[in-house]
Amino acid sequence: MDPKNSRFSTQISHLALDIGGTLIKLVYFSPNGDNCEGGSIVVGNGCSVVQGRLCFAKFETRKIDDCLDFIRFNILQHSGVQHTNGTARDKLSVKATGGGAFKFADLFKEKLGIVFDKEDEMHSLVCGVNFLLKTVPREAFTYLDGQKEFVQIDHNDLYPYLLVNIGSGVSMIKVDGDGKYERISGTSLGGGTFLGLGKLLTNCKSFDELLELSHQGNNRVIDMLVGDIYGGTDYSKIGLSSTAIASSFGKAISDGKELEDYQPEDVARSLLRMISNNIGQIAYLNALRFGLKRIFFGGFFIRGLEYTMDTISVAVHFWSRGEAKAMFLRHEGFLGALGAFTSYKDQSHSTELKPHHHTVERAVLKCSDDDSFRHTPVTANVNDGEAIECSINLV
Amino acid sequence: MAGPGDDDEHDPILDDSIEAEAKTQTCVGGGSGERDMAPSAPGPSIHRSGSRPQLDLSKAEIQGNFEERDPTILLPNQSDDISHLALDIGGSLIKLLYFSRHEEDYSNDDDKRKRTIKERLGITNGNLRSYPVLGGRLHFVKFETHKINECLDFIHSKQLHRRDPYPWSSKTLPLGTGVIKVTGGGAYKFADLFKERLGVSIEKEDEMHCLVSGANFLLKAIRHEAFTHMEAEKEFVQIDPNDLYPYLLVNVGSGVSIIKVDGEGKFERVSGTNVGGGTYWGLGKLLTKCKSFDELLELSQKGDNSTIDMLVGDIYGGMDYSKIGLSASTIASSFGKAISENKELEDYRPEDISLSLLRMISYNIGQISYLNALRFGLKRIFFGGFFIRGHAYTMDTISFAVHFWSKGEMQAMFLRHEGFLGALGAFMSYEKHGLDDLMSHQLVERFPMGAPYTGGNIHGPPLGDLNEKISWMEKFVRRGTEITAPVPMTPSKTTGLGGFDVPSSRGSPLRSDASALNIGVLHFVPTLEVFPLLADPKTYEPNTIDLSDQGEREYWLKVLSEHLPDLVDTAVASEGGTEDAKRRGDAFARAFSAHLARLMEEPAAYGKLGLANLLELREECLREFQFVDAYRSIKQRENEASLAVLPDLLEELDSMNEEARLLTLIEGVLAANIFDWGSRACVDLYRKGTIIEIYRMSRNKMQRPWRVDDFDAFKERMLGTGGKQPHRHKRALLFVDNSGADVILGMLPLAREFLRRGTEVVLVANSLPALNDVTAMELPDIVAGAAKHCDILRRAAEMGGLLVDAMVNPGDGSKKDSTSAPLMVVENGCGSPCIDLRQVSSELAAAAKDADLVILEGMGRALHTNFNAQFKCESLKLAMVKNQRLADKLIKGNIYDCVCRYEPPSVSQM
Repeated sequence: MDPKNSRFSTQISHLALDIGGTLIKLVYFSPNGDNCEGGSIVVGNGCSVVQGRLCFAKFETRKIDDCLDFIRFNILQHSGVQHTNGTARDKLSVKATGGGAFKFADLFKEKLGIVFDKEDEMHSLVCGVNFLLKTVPREAFTYLDGQKEFVQIDHNDLYPYLLVNIGSGVSMIKVDGDGKYERISGTSLGGGTFLGLGKLLTNCKSFDELLELSHQGNNRVIDMLVGDIYGGTDYSKIGLSSTAIASSFGKAISDGKELEDYQPEDVARSLLRMISNNIGQIAYLNALRFGLKRIFFGGFFIRGLEYTMDTISVAVHFWSRGEAKAMFLRHEGFLGALGAFTSYKDQSHSTELKPHHHTVERAVLKCSDDDSFRHTPVTANVNDGEAIECSINLV
Repeated sequence: MAGPGDDDEHDPILDDSIEAEAKTQTCVGGGSGERDMAPSAPGPSIHRSGSRPQLDLSKAEIQGNFEERDPTILLPNQSDDISHLALDIGGSLIKLLYFSRHEEDYSNDDDKRKRTIKERLGITNGNLRSYPVLGGRLHFVKFETHKINECLDFIHSKQLHRRDPYPWSSKTLPLGTGVIKVTGGGAYKFADLFKERLGVSIEKEDEMHCLVSGANFLLKAIRHEAFTHMEAEKEFVQIDPNDLYPYLLVNVGSGVSIIKVDGEGKFERVSGTNVGGGTYWGLGKLLTKCKSFDELLELSQKGDNSTIDMLVGDIYGGMDYSKIGLSASTIASSFGKAISENKELEDYRPEDISLSLLRMISYNIGQISYLNALRFGLKRIFFGGFFIRGHAYTMDTISFAVHFWSKGEMQAMFLRHEGFLGALGAFMSYEKHGLDDLMSHQLVERFPMGAPYTGGNIHGPPLGDLNEKISWMEKFVRRGTEITAPVPMTPSKTTGLGGFDVPSSRGSPLRSDASALNIGVLHFVPTLEVFPLLADPKTYEPNTIDLSDQGEREYWLKVLSEHLPDLVDTAVASEGGTEDAKRRGDAFARAFSAHLARLMEEPAAYGKLGLANLLELREECLREFQFVDAYRSIKQRENEASLAVLPDLLEELDSMNEEARLLTLIEGVLAANIFDWGSRACVDLYRKGTIIEIYRMSRNKMQRPWRVDDFDAFKERMLGTGGKQPHRHKRALLFVDNSGADVILGMLPLAREFLRRGTEVVLVANSLPALNDVTAMELPDIVAGAAKHCDILRRAAEMGGLLVDAMVNPGDGSKKDSTSAPLMVVENGCGSPCIDLRQVSSELAAAAKDADLVILEGMGRALHTNFNAQFKCESLKLAMVKNQRLADKLIKGNIYDCVCRYEPPSVSQM
C-alpha cells in the first residue's frame, strides 16, 4: 500500500457505519475540542496521544442524504482529509456493516469517494458488545418493574454469554470470547413483525408512534387470558395465574368484532407483549440449553424503551422462575457500528498504521451526577510498550 | 370374537329367517327425522326410525342344511347395545366418544365345533371371562359447538345418557341420575343445558389430565397412531409401548401447552406459549375478514408469504447468509416487509397474510417445542390440538421447524386421533372403563361408510341404518363434492384408471380436506391375540408388497377397481338378484369406489396402507351393505362338485408309494390353488371348463422345479434319508384358502396324510366370509362330506369333534388307537383373504401352542401376506401365483408359477 494512500485510509478509519434497514448508525472519532453530536466516548489516539471522543450519530436510512452531508462536513473535513473532487476518491476506505453496506456501497463511493470495507454483521455486533462490556463500566443493566439497576460485570468472568439482537428479525448468539461466537438460534418474530403487523393493524406510520400507542393500551381486550378460560380463576394446578396470557389475540376469535372495533392502543399493546414474551422465552430456553448465566438484549426493537425492556424482562423472569435476568446495554443501538470501528485494529500488523491506532483497553468510571458519566482519562499499554493513551468520556 | 364386520345398525334383509333370539334394538341413529322429538318425553320407547330394526350380523351362521331355500341364520352376537359416553366440549368443536358393547352370551354357546375345540384346546369360558376387556366399539363423533343441540339430539337418540357409565354394567338408569364425564372449557358452560335437556349431570375432568391419558392410550393401543409429516408425505411410526416414555406432548389449542409425559398419570406442564391457534385465528380474522378458521386455513393454501415476510435474501440482496446457515428463502422477519413498503392492509392479498401468519406461528411452536424437548432430553414430540386438525401445511411447517432447529435429530409426530385426546381421556376417567390393559392386537379399526360425524368433517346428516346409507350414496353420486364424507372426493366419473378418479389435485398436495385423516370406529376384540408362533412379533410385517410405493399402490387399486363389477354381480346374485339387492349392490360399488378414490388421493387416510387392509376393507364394505356372503352359492356348488371326485383322488393317492404320494399331494395343493375367485385370470379360466378338468390339467402341468422349490427339503423332513425315520410332527396348523377344489382336493388330502402319520391337524379358516374362501363354519360340513368316503378322515374328525351328528359315540374310547390323531377346525379371527398374524383368534392362539408345523396356503395368506414371515416352528408356504405383476415382483417368475417354500424354525435373534 502506498504511504500516501494509507495515510488517507488511516485518517478516515476514524469512522465506522452500520447501515440497517431502518437506521444508519455512525461511530466516529472526534479529537478533543471538536463538537460531537450525541453521546461520545473520549479516546486517546496513538503515541501522540490525541485526546478525543468516540461520537455516535443516527440517521433514518430513508434520509440517507442527511447522513452523507453529515459525513462530508462533520467528519471528513474535521479529520483533515483533503477531499477534493477526483483526487483520493477511490482510496478512502471505511468500515461498514449491516445490509446497507452492500446496498449503498455505490452511493457512498459516488458521493463521498468512500469505499466500504465490509465487516460481517454478526462479527461486528459481538465485537461491539465485548468492547462495551469490557471497557465501559455500568454499561449493562437490568430493568424490572420500572427499576433500572446497573450490573457490574467482572471482565474475567464475562464469557460465555448470550447476546440477543432484536432487529427486524432476532439473532441469538452465544459468545465465548473475542471473535469466538456462534449464532445458535433466532426467530422471525422480531421488531419487523411488531412494526409490520402493527402498521397493518393500526395504520401507524412509525415504530415510535406504534410504541407510543402501546403504552396507552390494554392487552386484555384482545388477548385471551387464563382467567377468560377458567372463569376468572387461576389454573393453579399448573402454575398459571388468571392474568397470564393464554392466547395472544385469542379474544378476537369469539368477539364478533372487526378490526375497526378495537382500539389501536390495545392492538399495539397485545402485539408488543406477544413479541417481547416470545423473544424472552426463546432466549431463556437457549441460555438454559448452553448453561449461560447472562442474556444481553440489544437491537433497534429495544431502543432503551422501558416498556419493551420490561416485557422482555418479565418473560425471562417468568420462564426461568426468577433464575435468569434479562440485561440491556446503554449503547445497544450502536453495537454493530462500534464493532466495525474496533475492527480497524485487526489490521495493526501493518507497521505504518500502528501509531494511528486507537484502542481502548480499559476505562475507569467516575460518576459526576445522576445520569451523566464522566470517565477520567486512563493510560494503557498495547503491543510491546507502544503506549496508547485513551480516555473515555461519556457525555 | 365379535364380528368385525357389523355396525350398529343393520337392515333386516333376512327378516323371515332370523331366529327369535335376535333382539332388535330399541333406538336408532339420530336421523334428522328425530330432531322434532320432544326432548321432555324421552322414556324407553323412543320411536324407531322406520320399521327397520337393527341386527348384529357378526358370526351370523346359517343353521341347518345348505340346500334349504332360505336357511335360518343365527345371530349369536345380537343383544342390547350398551353404550357409554364422554365428551370434550371446546370452544369450536364438541368431541364425543361413545362405546357400544355387544354382550356375548357364552352360556348360549351351541356351536358344537366351538365348544369341542374349546375343550380340546383347553380354552374354557372361565378363561374368556378373565379377559380384562369386553368386546365393543368406540365411536368418534364431532359437532360444532355452536350447534350443541345437534349433539344433544344425537345423545338423546342413541340414549347414550341413560346408560350406567360403567362399561361392565348394562343397567339403564332412571332419568335424572346419570353422570357424564366431560372435559374442555364448555364443561361448565353447558352443564345446565345437559341437565335440562337430558337430565344428566356433568362431571368435569381436568383437561390436561384427559389429554395425557388420551394420548397414552392411543400411543399404546393403536399400532399406527403416530406419523411424521414432511414435505406432504405421511409416514406412520410404530412405537414400542414399552419404550414410550418420556415424551413431549404439545397441545396447540388457542394457546399452546407443552407437557412432559413420564408415565401413566405422570406428567408436567413444562412450558407453553401464548402464540397459538387463537393467535392465528384471531389475528387472521382481524387481518383478512375470514369468517372461520377453516376458511383462513384454506386461504393459506394459495398464499405466498414472500410478499409480506422479510426473507434473508431480501436483506442480503438475494444471497444466502451461508456463514450462519441461513438460506435466502429463510424468513428473517415475519411481516417484516410490511414495514418499509407504503402499503395499507388492503394492498395485501389475504392469502399471503394467512400463509405468513401460519408459517410464523407454526415455526414458532416447532422451535419452542424443540427447545423444550432438548432441555429434557426427550426423543419424541407429539403435536396435537385444534390448530393442527390434520392440516398438511401446518404439520409440514411444524415438522420443518423441528427438523431445522434439531438439525434433523428430532422428528415432529402427529396423532391420527389427535382431535379426540381430551374426550378419550375423559372416557378413561370413568372409574373402570376397562380399557387400561388393552393391547394393540385387540383393536381393529373399521371405516364404515356414511358416518360423516366420525370422520374429520362434520357436515352432513348422521347416517344410521342401511337405508340411509344407501340413499346417501345415491345422493352423493348426484351431488358430488357437496356432501362431505369420511371419503371426501371429487364427483365420480370413470377414467382410464378403471372406475375411480385420478385425483385432479396431484399438483397441489396440500389441499386441506384431502389431508384430513379419517377416523374409523375402533372395535375392541378382547379375544384377539398375537399368533404365538411368530418368531419376532415386533418386527413382523404382514404385507409383502409395500403400498407406499406409488406404482404398486396404483396397480393394486386398479386391480380392485376392475374386479368390482364382477364382484357386485356375484354379490347381487347371492341375494337372489332382487331389486333391494341391486340397490345395495350399487351403493356398495359406489362406497367402495369412494374408498379407493380416497386412498388414491391420500394413501395414508386410513392409517398405514397394506394390501391386506385393502382387501379387508372390501370385505367390510360388502358386509356393511349386508352382503353377508357373496360367494355363498358358488362355494356350495364347487364344494359339491369337488366332494364328488374326492374318492377317486384318494384312491389314486393310496395306490402310490410314500414318496410319490407326498409329491402328488403337494402338487395337488398347488394345482388346486388355481381355483381362486380373487384372481381375475382364474375367473376367466372357470368359464372355459369344469372343475375337475381344470384341476387335472393344472396338476399335469406341474413341472418341477417350481419357481420356489424347497420340496426336497420338506420331503427329507417328512420321510427322512438313508433309512432314518424322522420324528413325526406333533401338530400341524393348515391355513386353508378357497372353498371347493382348493380345500377339498388340495388341503384335505394333505391333512389326511399328516393324520395317517399320527400328526394332529388343525385346519385354520376364516371367521367371516371373504371372496370364496372357506370359513371355519363351513369346514365341519365339508369334512363330514369327505369323511363319508374315508375312514382316516372320519376317525380324525370324530376325535376332533367335527362330526357332531355322527352315529359314533364320541366318548367311545375303544375306537381310538395310539396312532390316531384328531382333525380340528379353528377360526383365525379374520374376514379377509389375507391374514395379519398379529391379530388372530384366541382359538388359533391356543391351537398354536402345541404346533410344530405351520402350513400357509394360497396367495393371500402365503404371498400377499406372510411370504417373509418367520416362525418359531417349521413352516411351509404353498401357493400358485395368479397375478403376473406379483410373480414378477416376488419370485421373478410368471403367472401360474408355483411357490413351495419350506423353512426350519427361525433361530430367534433375541
